[in-house]
Amino acid sequence: MDLKQHYYEDVSLFSSATIVFWFTALALFLALFPLVVKNYYIYLANYIAINIIIVLGLNLLVGFTGQISLGHAGFVAIGAYGTIILMTKVHLPFLPALLAAALIAALFGFLLGLPALRLEGPYLSIATLGFGLTITQIIGRMDLFGGREGLHAPALTIGAWHLDTDVDFYYLLIPLTGLLTLAARNLTRTQVGRAFIAIRDADIAAETMGVNLLYYKTLAFSVSAFYAGIGGGMYAFVLRFVEPEIFTLMMSIMFLAMVVVGGLGSIMGAIAGATLLSWLDLQLRNILDIPYLGDWLTALSQSYFSITGVSNIQFIVFGMIMILIMLFEPLGIYGIWLRTKIYWRTWPF
Amino acid sequence: MREKFSGIWRIVAVVCLLIPAAVLAEEGVTDSEIHIGQWGPQTGPAAAWGSVARGTDAYFKMINAQGGIHGRKLIHHMFDDGYNPAKTKAGVKELQEGTGMFAWVSGVGTSPGMAVKEYLMERKIPWVGPSAGSLQWITPPQKYLFAVYPLYAMEARTLVRHAVKQMGLQRVAVAYQNDEYGKNGLRGAQEELQKHGLALVAEVPVEVKDTDMKPHVMKLRKSNADMVLLWTSVSHAVRIVGVSKAMKFAPQFMSTSTCSDFPLMMHISKGLWEGVICATFGELPDSQKALLQTYRKDAYEAFAAKDERWGLFFYAGIIFAEPLVEAIKRCGPELTREKLVQELEGLQDFRGIGPTVSYKPFDINDPMSRQGTQETMLVQCLADGKAKNLTGWIVMSE
Repeated sequence: MDLKQHYYEDVSLFSSATIVFWFTALALFLALFPLVVKNYYIYLANYIAINIIIVLGLNLLVGFTGQISLGHAGFVAIGAYGTIILMTKVHLPFLPALLAAALIAALFGFLLGLPALRLEGPYLSIATLGFGLTITQIIGRMDLFGGREGLHAPALTIGAWHLDTDVDFYYLLIPLTGLLTLAARNLTRTQVGRAFIAIRDADIAAETMGVNLLYYKTLAFSVSAFYAGIGGGMYAFVLRFVEPEIFTLMMSIMFLAMVVVGGLGSIMGAIAGATLLSWLDLQLRNILDIPYLGDWLTALSQSYFSITGVSNIQFIVFGMIMILIMLFEPLGIYGIWLRTKIYWRTWPF
Repeated sequence: MREKFSGIWRIVAVVCLLIPAAVLAEEGVTDSEIHIGQWGPQTGPAAAWGSVARGTDAYFKMINAQGGIHGRKLIHHMFDDGYNPAKTKAGVKELQEGTGMFAWVSGVGTSPGMAVKEYLMERKIPWVGPSAGSLQWITPPQKYLFAVYPLYAMEARTLVRHAVKQMGLQRVAVAYQNDEYGKNGLRGAQEELQKHGLALVAEVPVEVKDTDMKPHVMKLRKSNADMVLLWTSVSHAVRIVGVSKAMKFAPQFMSTSTCSDFPLMMHISKGLWEGVICATFGELPDSQKALLQTYRKDAYEAFAAKDERWGLFFYAGIIFAEPLVEAIKRCGPELTREKLVQELEGLQDFRGIGPTVSYKPFDINDPMSRQGTQETMLVQCLADGKAKNLTGWIVMSE
């Protein structure tokens, strides 16, 4: 779309002054956001930011490298439990504990990447699915992890900064999300990123060109698991309580849905997908409060559905939104964005 | 023009007069409304427990139809969290910070509850009757958290005592879910047997995701137990009874209040639940107790959805909310959270359609100051899904 005439144009962070302007506006908005909204929306923003981190990582694996993971909730669990245990049992400060837990998740990612060398498509999804389910089983059966009773997150301090409220946590989480977004974006533009994309498009061709499949496939799994580990560590402190039943298969599937709906192989898509689906997940239950539509849905449910029909309508709407996006734009929200951009470029002709 | 201005001034004057009143009023309480929040899974893995919240809803509607409490209507804000703690926390925050709840009632599940316990307690918001028999509500006790649900360990003790003393059964085995819930049942059984100079003949853990119950039943049969206490999920309990029948192993089965909704149990087990003895925390569905009949007529028949079933899990929503409603009534017209806590602490042997409820003044070292119930009732499942009352309400003593 944009003609690039110089190498530095390709590696520059912002391609034009307009983009610099919008990013500054976004940064300002994010910085001032907690000052103007209710605490609940900050919690919502934190929840969305965590999902963005996890989905960014998953998109590196699914969208860029063409591998699949139905077990990402397992990595999130490792990050969440790892951070809490390293803080309470080993007495590490928060940031080193978070980093160490994410590295442990990355190690598991590496191990899971090994069978991925031989497995593809449905076989790989079953292997990763097994991993996700096994992790919660193991955690649930070991006293170190609090068994099924779960663990409480300790008080959170970084140096002299006590993070007691959602606002404090927001100011930690948002820069971190920004940093990880930048890292993911830069990674995709390096040799590593190009190797990932080559593997996705044709792994045999990539190998003949000298891309080391063993190295890059396991690396993709490790990086993806690292992101999930960071997301998990933060998740533990947003909830302040973790137990194995939280990290379900449904959670893994949600992450995958966020990647696909947002747009495979796009950083912006990952952010858009995670934002939209997390928001819908938490807010769609309010659909029944909308005048007329809510009344109509309630009446529909009372006439044709069972007692819990009304509450399940949110899932029907949720599913419909996903189907419609995929039906009309296989590239997801990112594709819709691209088309909008092209449309306005030549407007009004 | 002048008239219009004087109209505006009048409004301003009235608003100014109202401001102090609004500042003084308690959050979630107005002259005509009391806002009460509750979460309950209508979707997801625990949707079967969704009827608890719907029970509370019908109960509040009944109270409102009778004129409310001291002229105020109870506004019930219930939301579906799908048994997902992240959603529970989001919903609680949204309602608390958006509309402003005076108090919270019931709320199904240990992990959804644990995700919001700290949030509610830090803000000194009363929460009455979490719908899960967890020890975590009262260890340590919290000033604003009032547990109603009976303690599992005490239920187990009462069942074992009944088996040993009334039925003369000595060889007791336990199949328990390998978590806090199951281990509480196991601990109660062990302690009670010790008192009688006996020990368990088998302890068989069941994992939540186990599906094949044959190995578990093999162990139980090998122990030659004449009473098996089931402290598992509903589906596991039913499967164990089924597999035992197939293996011709027929001890007396006993189980917790979680499995005491007999019509439901008979339906799932296709009749195999007959003869099982359970502890329960509510009057029986067909009890002739006047209050239960009133609820059935004025709450269930008047306000429940047409395919709602009149069962324990429905009116459990009433049982968990009764102490809150009673305390709000006792507060009189001047309703504040501190006063509510005082009145809850003043409840002594309060009986609605569940066991009696009593609290004590708050004592951080006494978990029982926030544990409302110490009674249970043992019932046996009959062929038609009805229950035979074996003991009436009895105190579950240590």
